[in-house]
Amino acid sequence: MATTTLSMHHIARVEGHGNVHVSIEDGVVRDVRMNIVEPARLFESMVAGRSFDKVSYIASRICGICSSSHVVTDLMAIEDAFGVEVSPRTRMLRELLVYGSYLQNHASHLFVFAAPDFVGEESLFPVAEKDPDLFQGGLGIKALGNELCTKVGGRSIHPITAVVGGFTHEMTSAEYLELADKLAAARPFVEHVVDVFAGFSVPDIASAGDFLALHEDGHYAVASGRPCFAKDGLAFDVRDYRDHIEEYTVEHSAAYFSRRRDTGETFAASALARINLSWNELTREARLAAAKAGLRPPALNPYDNNVAQAVELVDVCVRCEAMLRELAEMQGSSEPVAFEPKAGRGVAMTEAPRGTLVHDLEFDEEGRVTKANIITPTVHNLSDTEKNVRQVAELLTAQGADEATLRLEIEKLVRAYDPCLSCSVH
Amino acid sequence: MACSNNRADSRPRVVIVGLASCFGCQLQITNDEAHLLDVLGQLDLRYWQLASSAPEPEGDVDVVVIEGAVTTEESRRCVEKWRERANTLIAVGACAVTGGIPGMAAKDLDPRFGKVYEDGVPEACGQTCSPCSVSSVVKVDFEVRSCPIDTADFIRVLERALYGSNQLVLSDTMCGSCKRNESGCFWRQGKQCLGLVTLAGCGAKCVNLGRECNGCRGLSPHANLNAARAMVAAMGMSVSDFDDSLELFNQTSPMLQEGE
Repeated sequence: MATTTLSMHHIARVEGHGNVHVSIEDGVVRDVRMNIVEPARLFESMVAGRSFDKVSYIASRICGICSSSHVVTDLMAIEDAFGVEVSPRTRMLRELLVYGSYLQNHASHLFVFAAPDFVGEESLFPVAEKDPDLFQGGLGIKALGNELCTKVGGRSIHPITAVVGGFTHEMTSAEYLELADKLAAARPFVEHVVDVFAGFSVPDIASAGDFLALHEDGHYAVASGRPCFAKDGLAFDVRDYRDHIEEYTVEHSAAYFSRRRDTGETFAASALARINLSWNELTREARLAAAKAGLRPPALNPYDNNVAQAVELVDVCVRCEAMLRELAEMQGSSEPVAFEPKAGRGVAMTEAPRGTLVHDLEFDEEGRVTKANIITPTVHNLSDTEKNVRQVAELLTAQGADEATLRLEIEKLVRAYDPCLSCSVH
Repeated sequence: MACSNNRADSRPRVVIVGLASCFGCQLQITNDEAHLLDVLGQLDLRYWQLASSAPEPEGDVDVVVIEGAVTTEESRRCVEKWRERANTLIAVGACAVTGGIPGMAAKDLDPRFGKVYEDGVPEACGQTCSPCSVSSVVKVDFEVRSCPIDTADFIRVLERALYGSNQLVLSDTMCGSCKRNESGCFWRQGKQCLGLVTLAGCGAKCVNLGRECNGCRGLSPHANLNAARAMVAAMGMSVSDFDDSLELFNQTSPMLQEGE
């Protein structure tokens, strides 16, 4: 019997620590395991007993790159529990903060993590010589994301200014307009990025799994809307997520896995999921760039999450430019509104750069956390990743691919999900 | 990434290693995009899992940069291994320097696993140990504080490690920074601010933006915790709230343990 065991130990160019094991016997894929060995930091236990005003500060540290999303989601969950209504200006600033992390995350993922695979390099650094325009442009988008997060949140990661009820600090009108100009100037490059990633060849597979994203008619939902599955359009209330999403453990992963509770089906939460669910809500420019790149719903190839992230870069540049110009003119305050802590449960879901994020908090009457549950996008994606790694391994094995090709294409697929293993274990 | 074993390359051999953390400090290293190549170009960067699929090298290196707290026996061995193989060890970020946020779990560790993994702890969690800083496991030569680190601060410390510097390490508390910034004081508004006992050096970044200091730089060696507690009580505020706040970044600090 010919047995091939592929072990990709401590997979590089992802955040966190994980191994991928694939065993193939006589051309049949026997086993696929996302072996997540990231150390458990036990966040849910660390926020328990803490006062509400410390919780978002702690929860932010789940993940460096999507810290903005953890903070915004946490604040929304606290406000849901206490019955706090924030101003439209605060809501818009929170979306900007999340979009700043989209620019940071998608640029880091596309250029630093994913691109080296497609140009045959171990890292991004040789690209500086091979294609200096792409290198500088990519870093420029990452820097722009950092600047947006810094101007809104006070710092490129782990925002300072976002608190329950509003913001403790805001930039000036002139700074809003200056940032808007920078986003406008970035648009030609990000449109080029869509073409670059659409031009990379990937195995032709279609995921059998479902997709999950927030959806709101007429508005690209990142910090609003209702969660919705793509296949049957099943939408549900944020507070009822447990009825529809089942978290479970497996021995080979320190991260929880998740699946649809009703069908047991795996699903992906990602830029690709958002584009499948909210195609009509994308800006016209982003839809055009996507259509030109051949990406339109139903987009089922999980490798195309790279292209979907590039499309979102276009969307973010167009959308945030408009938001920044509006904020420069708009009346109203983002100063934290007054509120009183109270006992109860608060749940919030947002679209973090990598997919749907859940924060579920219960409080006592003093506003101390009694119970917390956090589900990160990578938790949603791990079972779907295993399923599609199996699919691509089967396809390539049937085509007689050698081991090096198998390894590369499997790693490419794992990276295409943009996993954050430190987030997933938290 | 330059990974040649050819020692005709006279640049310092550097590896970057991540332990239990949010990976944010490693990201901060890349967040000075305009000067990234100028900085990294001076290094023979031999291993950095976050940025390169080049495998972990054999042999000694000049500098190891470690982010994250020690939370497993494997990470403890990893830290010991790199201490032996590196001339200079730089701990970056609150997790590595003070135990940081992961260090919070050091208090009553065991029941926490049951709370997070209600159906049993998966094997993949490995052999866990009580979370602690890198400096509590091995000798640390240089540290870059804060959560997250400031990119320019990292570059300054790296320079100091590679080329030397006569700059003294700060030891005073944050209050002096706010005085110089003339930014007012949260204590006068009846809000607890950990700048009172926290090591200065960030310029009071959070306070400047309207947010109380949460102590991410760790305690100043000059901090007098009992005097601070007495002041909190004299101002009619809750000492237990003050102690709760201290736990965020100082749970494993010997200074905090002494106070109990």
